[in-house]
Amino acid sequence: MRVVIAEDHALLREGIVALLREQEIEVVAQADDGPGLLRAVAGHKPDLAIVDVRLPPTFSDEGVRAAIEARERLPGLAILILSQYVEPVYTAELLASGEGGVGYLLKERVGDVRGFVDAVRRVADGGTALDREVVAELVRARAAEGRDDALATLTPREREALALMAEGRTNAAIARAMVVTPGAVEKHVSNIFAKLDLPATDDDHRRVLAVLAYLRAAD
Amino acid sequence: MTVRDGDGRLLPLAIALGGLIGLTATIVWGATGGYFWPMWVWLTLATPPALIVCGKRFAGATRGPQRQLALQAEISAVVAACLGCVWLLSGLGYFWPIWPWLGLGVALALHALVVHRDEPFRGRERQLLERVAVLTRTRRGALDVQAAELRRIERDLHDGAQARLVALSMQLGRAEARLDDRPEVAALLRDAREEAGAAIAELRDLARGIAPPVLADRGLAAAVEGLAKRSSAEVAVDARLTRRPPPVVETAAYFVVAEALANVAKHAGGAAARVTLRDAGERLTVEVSDAGPGGANPSGSGLEGMRARVEALDGTLAIVSPAGGPTVVRAELPCAS
Repeated sequence: MRVVIAEDHALLREGIVALLREQEIEVVAQADDGPGLLRAVAGHKPDLAIVDVRLPPTFSDEGVRAAIEARERLPGLAILILSQYVEPVYTAELLASGEGGVGYLLKERVGDVRGFVDAVRRVADGGTALDREVVAELVRARAAEGRDDALATLTPREREALALMAEGRTNAAIARAMVVTPGAVEKHVSNIFAKLDLPATDDDHRRVLAVLAYLRAAD
Repeated sequence: MTVRDGDGRLLPLAIALGGLIGLTATIVWGATGGYFWPMWVWLTLATPPALIVCGKRFAGATRGPQRQLALQAEISAVVAACLGCVWLLSGLGYFWPIWPWLGLGVALALHALVVHRDEPFRGRERQLLERVAVLTRTRRGALDVQAAELRRIERDLHDGAQARLVALSMQLGRAEARLDDRPEVAALLRDAREEAGAAIAELRDLARGIAPPVLADRGLAAAVEGLAKRSSAEVAVDARLTRRPPPVVETAAYFVVAEALANVAKHAGGAAARVTLRDAGERLTVEVSDAGPGGANPSGSGLEGMRARVEALDGTLAIVSPAGGPTVVRAELPCAS
């Protein structure tokens, strides 16, 4: 797996690079602003770009814009956005930005090395990694009073499984997180799909997309 | 009345013409003799130059009531002088001009009284107007500075303390990952990392309370979209903005929508809401309406805070919430930049 990183804080950037190298993930280029990211993507054709939302020169949403532009120039490029805050507008833009893996994580998640590296691999493989805060907002908006009776029929455990699924996790990871057997997760998942009237599928990635599409349908 | 002596030629012309006619009359009298009637011709001929001189003085006076008073004074003086001359020339009998003089004087005095009546108040009024203008300008300046400062603090939190905490949390994580063989030390590091994570989350909430980053980054319409997506109520956003208002106005408008949507979620019982943003001329209009049960108390603390924010910018806030609904919160903010 080949990765480029765009992050203007040297300390953080070097930390992430070191962390990924320890996990034997190859970082082929580093950038500290939007144009630098576009050059690195054009020059190295990486599998994944890890991008900070705020980059020079504007220190606003330069990172999101640059990442979406990079993906337009290199279709299929996986994007993992790191942000200090959850912003539904940016999440929606990313999810709508075309084919390829997408991730949106709060920056502090890099502290959980195993979880972060899992997310990096998942996104690079074309999967999804949404921060649990992002998912919580999606579920909260979707579950709003009087708007979704189907969601209200889920049991608390099924809701937990739904949220973990929306984060992009595999069955095995959901089982670990919920401290149950993979068989129990299978059961939860098939219940969720039946209650929400979603088409059943064995493909993890497609399943995540179906759940996300369901949660975002309210928008 | 415009007695214009544009080129300064009117007065010499009147004097020359008057002198010529007066001389002719005197010569005619010299030839015919009798009662010295030319003195009346002279008096008549002296009047136009006198009026022209008055007109010149009057043209120099300031406009408004003062000018009218000056005009009346000049005309009164000429008329009074004429009457005095008539009395003199008619042989100094009973001093009858005293009565017209008195009349002219009283009329002039009354006019002067009317004009100067509220003079002491006008000076004060002007001072107050100037003071209001200065205060309006400086208050706006102070609010602009405050808004800029708050955004700077928000950015500093993001780039400074938060970034350092993230780096710290990452180092702790990397150390933790290398300590698989010593689980009790790894657990300590995990606790430390979670503590750092909590501090980051607190800083994030603090920064968002100051001004959400998306407001500075993408402007009011995008920030309101974000609020709508976050809201537990179903919210439609209709934004038609032609340009970005100044930051302080943007922030005020944002918090009006945030507070109003929070109220919708709390009190409107799941009813849908609609946010409308418009800028027409120098005004930004923000309207949040919902089809809930209404009956909102306009003096509730949230609504009061909203009102204070809007009024500090010379805006207006109207809340209409009859029992049975619908509730409409409408803020108008001046946004000349």
